[in-house]
Amino acid sequence: MSASGERKVSASLGRSVRGAAPRLADLASTPEAPRTPTLGRSVSSLFGSPGGSFRTDDDYVVIEVGSRFVRAGFPGESTPRCTLAYDPDNQRRVGDYRQWDPQGAQKRQNPRKGQEWGQEYELYRMDLSQIDLGVVEDKFERIMREVYNKYFVLDTKPRRILLALPPKMPHPLMSTLLDVLFGSVQAPSITLMSSPVLSTVAAGLRSALVVDIGWAETLVTAVCEYREVHEERTVRAGKLLSEEMAKVLNAALDEHAGYHEGDDISFEEVEEVLSRVGWCKSKPRSNRRTLYFPARTSPILEEFEDAVETPEPTITIPLPKATPPSEITVPFATLAKPAEYALFATETALNEFDDDELPLHHLIYRALLSLPMDVRRVCMSRIVITGGVSALPGLKSRILAELEALVHAKGWDAVRNYGTASARHEQILRQKREALELQRQESEDKMTESLDPDSPLPAGLRAHEEDNIDAKLAHVALRNGPPPVSLTGGIVRGVETLGPWAGASLVAQQRIRGIVEIDRERYLQHGLQGASKEKEVSVVAQRQSMGPNVVRGAGERASWTLGVWA
Amino acid sequence: MAQTFPYTYYACDCYDSNNTSSTKRASQLLQEAEEDERTFDPRSPRANYSLYPLEHLLYCEDCQQIRCPRCIIEETLNWYCPSCLFEVPSSVVKSDGNRCTRSCFSCPLCTSPMQTFSLDMTGESAPPFILECQYCRWSTLEIGIEFEKGQGIAAQLARIGNGGKHIPTNKERDKERERRKEIEGRKSRDLLSPSTESTNTDADRADGPPSHDDLFSNLTAFYKSQVDAQTPSNPFSSHDINFSSPSAYSRIMNLYSTTGSKKNKRNKPSAMREVASSLEGLTIHDPANDAAAIERIKKEGWGVTLSPAQKHAQINPNVRFVDELRPLATLLCTKRSKRCRSCRQILTKPESKITSTRYKIKLLALNHIPRLSIRALNAMPPAAVASRTADAFDYNALKPGMPSHFLLHISNPLFDPIKVTLATPSTTPGRVQSRVTILCPQFDVGANTDIWDDALSSSLSPIKRGSITDQAPQIEAGKIWDRGRNWTSVAVEIVPGFTNAVSSDGRDELEEDEDVLEIPIFVRIEYETDAGADERGLGDSRGSKGEKERREEAFWTVVGVGRIKG
Repeated sequence: MSASGERKVSASLGRSVRGAAPRLADLASTPEAPRTPTLGRSVSSLFGSPGGSFRTDDDYVVIEVGSRFVRAGFPGESTPRCTLAYDPDNQRRVGDYRQWDPQGAQKRQNPRKGQEWGQEYELYRMDLSQIDLGVVEDKFERIMREVYNKYFVLDTKPRRILLALPPKMPHPLMSTLLDVLFGSVQAPSITLMSSPVLSTVAAGLRSALVVDIGWAETLVTAVCEYREVHEERTVRAGKLLSEEMAKVLNAALDEHAGYHEGDDISFEEVEEVLSRVGWCKSKPRSNRRTLYFPARTSPILEEFEDAVETPEPTITIPLPKATPPSEITVPFATLAKPAEYALFATETALNEFDDDELPLHHLIYRALLSLPMDVRRVCMSRIVITGGVSALPGLKSRILAELEALVHAKGWDAVRNYGTASARHEQILRQKREALELQRQESEDKMTESLDPDSPLPAGLRAHEEDNIDAKLAHVALRNGPPPVSLTGGIVRGVETLGPWAGASLVAQQRIRGIVEIDRERYLQHGLQGASKEKEVSVVAQRQSMGPNVVRGAGERASWTLGVWA
Repeated sequence: MAQTFPYTYYACDCYDSNNTSSTKRASQLLQEAEEDERTFDPRSPRANYSLYPLEHLLYCEDCQQIRCPRCIIEETLNWYCPSCLFEVPSSVVKSDGNRCTRSCFSCPLCTSPMQTFSLDMTGESAPPFILECQYCRWSTLEIGIEFEKGQGIAAQLARIGNGGKHIPTNKERDKERERRKEIEGRKSRDLLSPSTESTNTDADRADGPPSHDDLFSNLTAFYKSQVDAQTPSNPFSSHDINFSSPSAYSRIMNLYSTTGSKKNKRNKPSAMREVASSLEGLTIHDPANDAAAIERIKKEGWGVTLSPAQKHAQINPNVRFVDELRPLATLLCTKRSKRCRSCRQILTKPESKITSTRYKIKLLALNHIPRLSIRALNAMPPAAVASRTADAFDYNALKPGMPSHFLLHISNPLFDPIKVTLATPSTTPGRVQSRVTILCPQFDVGANTDIWDDALSSSLSPIKRGSITDQAPQIEAGKIWDRGRNWTSVAVEIVPGFTNAVSSDGRDELEEDEDVLEIPIFVRIEYETDAGADERGLGDSRGSKGEKERREEAFWTVVGVGRIKG
């Protein structure tokens, strides 16, 4: 009986899983005999026979909801089946085909009055006073219908949903989204996972500082052992970047063709320019006002100043929707300016920023600074930059370089200004740094000297003798413990991630159960109010026995919680 | 809106009645209480999601309500490729995904279908083959891919990467990973840790950065091995009660052996670790990749980059340049049956044969809901208008402030005569306020009887023209304009509002479609029908057993009259 069940499960797992069948190498790492892999399945019913454990509704679909895009697909696949944007063209009435009209396609769409830049392209925004939740529901419902009918093309079997959401969301908005998923998609249960944690998973890490440069805001989340421990946000993100790019392009257009009333560049064109040829200078400019570099390193940084190339490289941008259709030629360097203004704001002094508009590198530094020291050590060498804007070439390198410069200049000192004592503080710092430098140099010198066999070093300067037993111990630790690379800390290091969707796909594939699991029946009864107030629900199976032969199903939980969303 | 004037949209009222879920907020409840009083506003942002042309609507006979795409459930019957019309069994859809696995591809640049061509000059069809787009002439040669066979392109393409490289399958990936891990393991046993790292990076450099799929499969394997190592194999766990598995067998044997129980005491499981090498999916951020991308954009400009739409259509949306494109396998289409969401009755069911467009069951709103249409009332008979097109009414240039007459035409698809009540707000909602008067808001429409009935009866009784038999119809309040067998038309007087009154208001100019004159009309119909007519089929209305049932229906419609110009 169970053998046939085994076959059934493996068949339904699909192609990509079949490839990842158990291998000797995996099993060799565990000190047990070869065994059939457990799929993490559980016996669901109270008195059920084991055969009943192969529940059919264990299938998942993975959906990531952002404010601009929805990504949806199946677990175990490396990319989502579809990435859909909330395009205003998709939001027209049924039977309104004007986007296919050859004349209409040439026209520029002017934004509606009273709407902010790109508002038609958003699903939601965090400020609920500005949006109509009914419209959000309609939009989301329509897009989910497209996902299911066009891209999933599933049979009628109900599938659970693994939903990746930003870690903070207003409850009315959440219940709107859940209403659609439970109501029109008829999901039996929804597991919520927060996207920073999933980004961490997709980078292969347990702890990370996830910098999600999204549309409306940049979210810096410190994740320690798969848990969000700290969070900082700034409005310097995609929207601001796109607005700055619009300014740059409009200026270029005016220069090119003279100013026409109302002939501003449209949102779509800006998006296209940004994603095609937008870039970011990957090396920070030495800025003496905000950064302090010691005398020894500054000459190197001078080289980072833009070397003027001749002839100046330019990019020609076609604008077929302008009237008349035209092409503008923009110096390549100007295309990097929006990122400079919008994300780093290098021209502005630090004290002029509001709390919600800190430049990215300062925000990351601040987030790291507020972490406990041990968490900081782990997080600073696992900086994961994700989000739509992070695809801008050069941006990741730039952020890391800026951060490194900041750390180098300030250290981990929470005090920003020592007032009258600042001179003394600086002096102490300099002394420290010079001492460190001296040490480093000496050790380098030693290395070169030690090659010389004629002059034996004094014992105090000689390297430690290698102890055989120490080596052996290290060796054993190396073999049994985690590899040393996974313990790296204390340096600024960026780690690439495959993105929250891929992380969700990995999690769903391993059948890992989330903390926040919402059952359809319970949700329809009480809504979000039904969640218990405790933030944590024990996922580990309880050890208490309910009598012989009774296995308490892991499928049932007494209560559910909203976890970080509570 | 973009439909040609005049047009009629029908509102499905599901959007305010489907909120069965428990998350009704108090404010929403209040709104709904007011909803009954309010007139339908075709300009509200939610209206786009509830308005449909009559042809798009279904009708549930059990609920006696209009059903729009939002209030039905769809069930997939079968899958097929729209370009080769081959049916795909559901098992293949499950394992191989939602795209055609034969040779159907569409162009990644312009989305038109691609064809297979032989590059061989002499023979008819000899290798090598390529795919070429017939519209934009993009071919797989541009990404360096040629095929050996003309059939089964999808299978071949899955094995060839861009530039002719071989893409390993999942199994090969696993083998390769195993092999490299072994090498690494041997080296780490021989030497100490630093050397392993160097060999590791050497291997990476040889292959270039690992692809998205490689990384994902590495991560998958890593997590799988980690989860397997964590899964406790203690007896009586809720997992794998599976007596055919060797582990379970050895466990049972261990229970009865006296020696094994103590020896096998496992040490405390160590925590799941992080990835440590690129073989496990770790990618450290490398600024060189960023720099290379920037250089490439700088040198080659706009042409080598991809637009957002092209990116999102790709299987792997994280691409940037033209040479990373892959031909897109055609998405499968489905035939779906539709059920009413509330009573689960089947509304439509197509024939399962792929090439057939017939339906087994089809309950259209067209057959149950009176059709409203509006047209301008010309003094001339219709035949004369048709001949002189110059005089034809221009719906795209309604004159503001000029009262003009329109005919509202209601035709009845039911087999019973209906009583119609129309209601409309006297001024249209929105900023451009037009005055609307329906001259005769209450009237009867005849039954949709057999066409011969009409021919026969018209000779006997003069009901054809109603009260107005001979003289030309007149515009008079309280009187219908004209009447036929199953249709009635009434006159409507419309005074289009002033558009310039709005723009000189001090506020900004008109938004898109604000100058379109749309009239919301509330339609209520009453009729008597046989109680059991549904069961016996619709045509059988003559079998009157005296048990008549009174039915009524009410819905909002939106009539688009034209565009105001002036």
